[in-house]
Amino acid sequence: MKSGDSTTIDVPHHEASGGGGASKGKGAILTVPARQEKGGMRRGMAIIDVVLRIGAIMAALAAAAIMGTSDQNLPFFTQFFQFEASYDDMPSFQFFLIAMSLVAGYLVLSVPFSIVSIVRPHASGIRLLLLILDVVALTLATSAAGAATAIVYLAHNGNSSSNWLAICNQFGDFCKTVSSAVVASFVTVVTVMFMILLSALALRKH
Amino acid sequence: MKAGGAVDATDKEASKPIPIPKVRVSRVLSVLDFTLRVVAALGTLASAIAMGASRETLPFVAQFVRFRARYKDLPTLMFFVIANSIVCVYLVLSLPLSFVHIIWTAAKTSRIVLIVSDTVMMGLLTAGASAATAIVYLAHYGNSSTNWFAFCQQFNSFCGRISGSLIGSFVAITVLVLLIIIQSVAISRR
Repeated sequence: MKSGDSTTIDVPHHEASGGGGASKGKGAILTVPARQEKGGMRRGMAIIDVVLRIGAIMAALAAAAIMGTSDQNLPFFTQFFQFEASYDDMPSFQFFLIAMSLVAGYLVLSVPFSIVSIVRPHASGIRLLLLILDVVALTLATSAAGAATAIVYLAHNGNSSSNWLAICNQFGDFCKTVSSAVVASFVTVVTVMFMILLSALALRKH
Repeated sequence: MKAGGAVDATDKEASKPIPIPKVRVSRVLSVLDFTLRVVAALGTLASAIAMGASRETLPFVAQFVRFRARYKDLPTLMFFVIANSIVCVYLVLSLPLSFVHIIWTAAKTSRIVLIVSDTVMMGLLTAGASAATAIVYLAHYGNSSTNWFAFCQQFNSFCGRISGSLIGSFVAITVLVLLIIIQSVAISRR
């Protein structure tokens, strides 16, 4: 029997017995091609990949939206402190907003490619392309998250050596919204890492 | 004619594209992976040392301005040094595994392990480098809205040192991205 990439069990055809009797136990056994098994597993991984991608889109959009709508005006007025805080004031937050929007936009555009890899589980070129672009998106998202975290840490704790005051004491709401945007961006980072792992697992050819 | 027949045969062979043996491409990828790993280890080591050895003491004494700057004064820069050290140690420890891949190009599970750990370390390094960049930006320009003062104006050499140490880290980030891509191409080829 031809042995390509399918596992076939060669049994002699037995007319009399219906089921597999106790004496000989021979019947026609289904041939399950190994390629189909691999395709089934890859299809499952591709479905999980699409689900994770949609989750990462929501997290990235949430991070960008929360940061974009974070501004707070204090009702009072003092001589030395500014009474308005917004993401515009810090270049790190502007970079965070732009980078998370870029990541969200890329993830939205990559959902069709991911769906194609569900339909065709053996196309490894698309998976490789998605993996490379996912790594770039991961770098962008992580750098945005890291830069914003540094500023948020300073806003919460200040720094005595350089006389940088902790602004969270005045702008409590601004601090909270910015911190939650940073948390959403870290959720995006972890989700994209899992997507990269899935793509690497699905690229194997046995 | 014999000569004509011979010419025809060589023409047919010459017109066919010569297939590059798969093992050779995988081996080239593995050697490239090993070399880039060494480069990234050196980059992170240089960054950690440059940031760790950065201190400056101003010659005068003023009443309200601090006259000594070290990387320990800013927790973000300390995180940067720690992250770079961790990634440097990881890269050095992964060099033997990468060397094994040059010899044994059919390895799959170890390549996947290497991809996963490379991704995690890249995330750590990128977070540390970008956080330190945000702080260095503040040190250069300050922030008028929050009254954060740019201390580069006093501590010139400290500022120059911490700015320069970011370069090695960013080079290592780029190299780590390339490493992940190389490993995934190597997995998909066999």
